[in-house]
Amino acid sequence: MSAAGVCRLPICRGSDMAVLRPSSESELAEMVRAAAADRHTLEIMGSGSKRAMGRPTDADDCLDLSALRGIRSYDAEELVVTAASATPLREIAAELAQHRQCLGFDPADFGPLFGSAAQSGTIGGALAADVSGTRRILHGAAREHLLGLRAVNGWGNVYKAGGKVVKNVTGFDISKLMCGSLGILGPMSEVTLRLLPRPTHSACFAVRDLEPEAGLHLLRRIWREPLEASGLLYLPKIILEYFDLGGNAEAGIVLLRVEGSDEALKDKRLRLRALLEGLRVEDLAQGDALLATAANGSVFAPSPHDVWRLAVPPSAAREVAAALVGTLWYADWAGGLFWIATSGDALSAAAGLERICARAQGQLQLLRADEHQRRRFAARPSSGDGVLQLMRTVKSAFDPLALFNPGRLYEGL
Amino acid sequence: MQLAPPDPSILARRDRIIADLKSLLPGAIIHEPAGLATYDSDALSAYRQKPLACALPASKEEVSALLAYAAKERIPVVPRGAGTSLSGGALPRPDGIVIGLARMNRILEIDLENRCAVVEPGVTNLAVTRAVEADGFYYAPDPSSQVACTIGGNVAENSGGLHCLKYGITTNNLLGVELALPGGERVRLGGKAPALGGLDLLGIVTGSEGLLGIAVEATLRLRPRPPVTRTLLVAFPTVAQAGRCVAAIIGEGIIAAAMEFMDRRAADAVESYCAPGYPEDAEAILIIELDGVDGEVRDGLARIEHIAKTCGASVVRLAANEAERARIWAGRKAAFAATGKIAPDMLCMDGTIPRRALADMLDAIAAMSARYGLAFCNVFHAGDGNLHPLIMFDAMRDGELERAEAFGAEILTLCVKMGGVLSGEHGIGVEKRDLMGAMFDAEDLAQQERLKCAIDPERLFNPDKVFPTLSACVEQGHMHVSGGRLPFANLPRF
Repeated sequence: MSAAGVCRLPICRGSDMAVLRPSSESELAEMVRAAAADRHTLEIMGSGSKRAMGRPTDADDCLDLSALRGIRSYDAEELVVTAASATPLREIAAELAQHRQCLGFDPADFGPLFGSAAQSGTIGGALAADVSGTRRILHGAAREHLLGLRAVNGWGNVYKAGGKVVKNVTGFDISKLMCGSLGILGPMSEVTLRLLPRPTHSACFAVRDLEPEAGLHLLRRIWREPLEASGLLYLPKIILEYFDLGGNAEAGIVLLRVEGSDEALKDKRLRLRALLEGLRVEDLAQGDALLATAANGSVFAPSPHDVWRLAVPPSAAREVAAALVGTLWYADWAGGLFWIATSGDALSAAAGLERICARAQGQLQLLRADEHQRRRFAARPSSGDGVLQLMRTVKSAFDPLALFNPGRLYEGL
Repeated sequence: MQLAPPDPSILARRDRIIADLKSLLPGAIIHEPAGLATYDSDALSAYRQKPLACALPASKEEVSALLAYAAKERIPVVPRGAGTSLSGGALPRPDGIVIGLARMNRILEIDLENRCAVVEPGVTNLAVTRAVEADGFYYAPDPSSQVACTIGGNVAENSGGLHCLKYGITTNNLLGVELALPGGERVRLGGKAPALGGLDLLGIVTGSEGLLGIAVEATLRLRPRPPVTRTLLVAFPTVAQAGRCVAAIIGEGIIAAAMEFMDRRAADAVESYCAPGYPEDAEAILIIELDGVDGEVRDGLARIEHIAKTCGASVVRLAANEAERARIWAGRKAAFAATGKIAPDMLCMDGTIPRRALADMLDAIAAMSARYGLAFCNVFHAGDGNLHPLIMFDAMRDGELERAEAFGAEILTLCVKMGGVLSGEHGIGVEKRDLMGAMFDAEDLAQQERLKCAIDPERLFNPDKVFPTLSACVEQGHMHVSGGRLPFANLPRF
């Protein structure tokens, strides 16, 4: 067994934390078996770019997967790629770009929000944290794009699940469980993803001078049209100084993007013109960059704020916006996702946000705060104790000794 | 196929159990042999057995009450929607209760502001689209049985359809469920708000074939109907050219709404069955459908026409109007029934392969056909590599059924060897259960079974399905059609 040693990385909390760095899948399994025998809990890490996201974990050792990297196979004609789990996203994106393809879930880059370098995340981390980007409203979340995987469970056994083809209903869909799990079911060693062709053309627009109610209403109206909009964002006046949009701002701004072939865009422009009749619309050259900034939350990277995300049914957006007057926020995903920044005591902010969340039947996530606050914020699934119990049951089927990322997802889970 | 023997202690308690069920759900229990005959099989009608009783709950509370009783008495339960499963997913047990959900057939809410509908599990797939089409919306998954099959069954089987190439299968169009667990407790998974991480229990339940719980309510994603839909018929002198054309279209970055393949035998059978007017002398036919805004569709059609001609297409015909479009599809949808007419018996396979392997797979099937001495034809969802080879045989001839089954198993095993999977859309059920070992090793299966055992430790939910209990030996994988009579003969199959 190689590469076991004391942690010298700045990301490791204490010098007493051993770092296990497997160089192969079988070594990974061997290390997990040893950890299971010693009852040593493990913090699973790719590049560590999202280590400060959400609840911290208190593990004995760090399982550093960074040596499990590299594209194993890429079949452009098939629109399928298989990669080791800690392959850097930028390496995959660069390879796909050569064939005018991309990852379907449009992964956001949370690194800068947590003080890591831009584009430093891994594919496994992006899936485990479900960092679905702006295009989620069109192509779905990470879960929609993970076809299959290889992983190691809490017994230290390697297993595979799913497949490498786009249509498959053979056996339980374990790939879904891995997306958003924050690693609590164990480390993946290899992932297979479906890909999408990159849109050849894209057009972004800004619709200015819209108060929240009108802006959020417009998002939903466009979302219900057969335009396949791939970006539907609202920026209220209070947040505009954080975005580089130019112009004078009387009120908030809707940003929208449509994509497709040249011919498709001509038609979509025509339809949009009819929809936006009478509104102040302008073409936006830097629209892709603005949408990425919003998806990454990177406008808050240099600020001292605590950063939250609140997912709600889009029709609840108006009510949420009204409750957030005076707070920094903006809405992505046609009004289904609020980014919120608060200052002061995170827990008192939490009480207010939890009330808003409960009224809207949404889900609240504390992304960034100091470690103490993140530990104290009692994140839980939106739908009650029965679901939490079922999650514990599922966890036990993968990790009966609770070795992996203890407490990372929810308290005790 | 061997099913676990019934528990004699349950059979011995039969009268008391039926009395208990009747007092639990008065007027909703079927237990007479004549009534139970309706429930002795699903669309995989080669397997039949009568359940101990069938319960038809009308509410989620009644489902919970039944499950609590079943747990207390340790009686197996088999959930059932419309019974259109092609893999035996709703095959009863003699010591088990079938829970038929067809009475729970109300659309509870249509919420266009959030682009979703909330429905009970017994609502049929097509009823959802029917309820929202006047407003310009539809529900995308469209299994061929959509007139009859229920949303609850779609959730259990993770059903696909013709248009999943572009719009995904059930799991990609399901926002939430209320799930009744073993013991009767109910939990809400997902909902109208997008999920922000957490364990995706909705994802693992979808397609779990009734082994983990029963969906008693579902929240479905609705989509705005694309303004334009156009359909192309393309014919090729060779199968390999058609295979290359499919790969080239996908590789070019064109995501068609549907892309269907038929070989010459299938096309000939269809032509004599319902005369859709397919080109003669073609070895392979593709039906390609594009949807979207006008410019997008026009652009796509032009590119596909160019690709098809480069690949050697002999005919490229665009349906001029809705009637012609319907006629092209009618032929494709009649393929199974038409094949059933030209052979006494037929097995329908369901595997997926990487799209690039299509031509090789078709060659391999032709070689197998010669070796087994049995005719076949090929119909499949070419866009996503989902094959439905139809093996023709005569069960009256000695040994022919066994040969056909061996032929089918060899095809599915080859699917896996080529990098594909055992089932693209019909599910495992009892049909392909014993082939699971061809795709998953013992550790892969053990991990799935641990999940099953954690949620349903008594294994009362749909026993005998999905997991091989005897051995991993390769047995069979097919839909059995006897004497040209398909189960649910009036439903299209594709």
